[in-house]
Amino acid sequence: MAQILSYLQAHAKVLKWVFFVYLLGTLLFDFLVERHHPHFWGDSVIGFWALFTILGCLGMIVFCKGLSHVWLAQREDFYDSEDSDNDE
Amino acid sequence: MMSSTIFLHPASYFILGALLLPIFSRFKMQKVVLLAVPLLAFWQIHALPESFGVCNFMGFELVFGKVDKLTYVFLHVFTLMALIGAIYCLHVKETGHHIAAFLYVAGSLGTTLAGDYLTIFIFWELMAFASTFLIWYRKRKRSIEAGYRYLLVHTAGGLILLAGIFLRYQNCHDLSFTRIAVEGATMADYLIMVGFMLNAAVPPIHAWLPDAYPEATVTGAVFMCAFTTKTAVYVLARAFPGFEMLAVMGAIMTLYGVGYAVIENDARRILAYHIVSQVGYMVCGIGIGTAMAVNGACAHAYAHILYKALLFMGVGAVLEMTGKSKLNELGGLYKRMPWAMVFTVIGGVAISGFPLTSGFISKSMIIAAAGEDHRIFLLIMLSLAAVGTFLSVGIKLPYFIWFGKDSGVKAKEAPWNMNLAMIFASFMCIFLGIYPEYLYRMLPFPVHYHPYTAYHLSETLQILGFTGLGFYLMVKYLHPEPKSNLDLDWFYRKGALVFMWVASKPISIANDWVGEVYRTVGLRFTKAVAKALSWFDWEGIDWAVDGSAKGVVQGGDKMRTLQTGKIQQYVGGAVAALMIVLLLVVFL
Repeated sequence: MAQILSYLQAHAKVLKWVFFVYLLGTLLFDFLVERHHPHFWGDSVIGFWALFTILGCLGMIVFCKGLSHVWLAQREDFYDSEDSDNDE
Repeated sequence: MMSSTIFLHPASYFILGALLLPIFSRFKMQKVVLLAVPLLAFWQIHALPESFGVCNFMGFELVFGKVDKLTYVFLHVFTLMALIGAIYCLHVKETGHHIAAFLYVAGSLGTTLAGDYLTIFIFWELMAFASTFLIWYRKRKRSIEAGYRYLLVHTAGGLILLAGIFLRYQNCHDLSFTRIAVEGATMADYLIMVGFMLNAAVPPIHAWLPDAYPEATVTGAVFMCAFTTKTAVYVLARAFPGFEMLAVMGAIMTLYGVGYAVIENDARRILAYHIVSQVGYMVCGIGIGTAMAVNGACAHAYAHILYKALLFMGVGAVLEMTGKSKLNELGGLYKRMPWAMVFTVIGGVAISGFPLTSGFISKSMIIAAAGEDHRIFLLIMLSLAAVGTFLSVGIKLPYFIWFGKDSGVKAKEAPWNMNLAMIFASFMCIFLGIYPEYLYRMLPFPVHYHPYTAYHLSETLQILGFTGLGFYLMVKYLHPEPKSNLDLDWFYRKGALVFMWVASKPISIANDWVGEVYRTVGLRFTKAVAKALSWFDWEGIDWAVDGSAKGVVQGGDKMRTLQTGKIQQYVGGAVAALMIVLLLVVFL
């Protein structure tokens, strides 16, 4: 098992191209697919979910990581140290 | 209850098993009980009549067993999960841990089978108390503290539920647990709903979950991730389908949980936040309330229990073997724990809804139900959460544990029983994906949904592929940092500090002052009175006064030694008392 994974890791460049071909393949597949019951307008646009996903994914990473950096992130002992301050 | 009907109830097997465990562990036969009880219960649920265990208690009709298809699908997955969990914790030696897990499962099964609110409340509280011990058994300072917070939050939730039950009884003198109509819902019903929502971890009352689960024991977390929230999903699905509020809150939950899962560092905290997200799908499905949506919620609960437990087991195996669960301290483990990786990735793939896994056939049902009901906004939110799911749990979590930068952490493969449990859960995830009819047949309403359509496949392949692209582009930015993020538990954790400050400073000063006054004035006064009395009555009854004074002094001493000041012992005593009451109620 570990050997297979090491082998794959050694050929990461090939994997990368396989991945890009796969992405292209999903878009081509979307041209062929029949749309029986579109739930809303997005369902009848070819490649809608690809665009939705990449925008959503990047947006989510930037938004969440940004919010974490400017506000939410704290030391992992944030609550602990407050406790021990109080004990002293 | 008649003794013959006691053994109809699957929860009684777990309670009996919990009682027998200490005896069996003396003879080193603990493992027999651990496996036999869930197996018996799993077999027993097929033989349940529609109604059983009806008894009269102080004028209230308690219904311990009421079974229909909605009950059955949850019983099926709960007992199956109890079996997988029992296999996973076979190596744990502490009998108390197993007892807590069994009582926890019993609480969950009891709630699921209950036909009236009082019975629900009894088992609801059993669940909360028993699961607290699964946190405490980790025995670290943080876990002890997190356990108290968990218990306090659930006690508060239980009180809200109880208030709703009382109000409801006052309003309509009917405590039977049935569907509540949206139009006729009163204050009482909403209080009950809030009590249920707390256990379902609906924001803003969700923070107990990511606070407590990462602090639980490795095996305890596997049980906890399955039962508390999904029991809440069951009671919501029973009583509150079609409540618009739930649909909106559920959709918010899916994004809220996944957003935190993207930024958190501790693997089990990521998974805990992700429970909030996944339960959001179910709550949303219940809120939409159509037959397809409720079916989807049940199917998703079933599938989710298995793959989320699988993920907790995989990450738990790493924690057990390396002592670490933080992503920034892990990395490059694929050479040392490849099997744990395979199982965790199967869980991650299933939760992300890859074709041929259980997520593909369950999650899509809720999203499709939102579409059929023309809730486009909900559909978009749920789809976006699916993107975040694959990003955080499907890719980020395995990547930074097993690949990424090699941390050099030493590790071996997990014990055989842990791997066996993970094989079992992995099998179920793939089996349900290949053969969805197995699950669809159990759902409460007839299913007219076909997951394997060309369009659904195309949509899923795009979502998965382009999420992968997003991760590939942003992998540097997503690098784990040794931080944890603030959440709404800030209010009660900081609020508690304010309370502690008030208690330790002004109140304690006042207390000292009163004490001083009592010592100087009160004590002398008492002594003086005693002296005066003994002097006054010394002829006839001074022995009585002296005797009683001595008695008071001795009694005071005894009281002082009884009060150890250790809250653990008080809570332990209270729990023991509650258990005795519960057993009496269940068995008499």
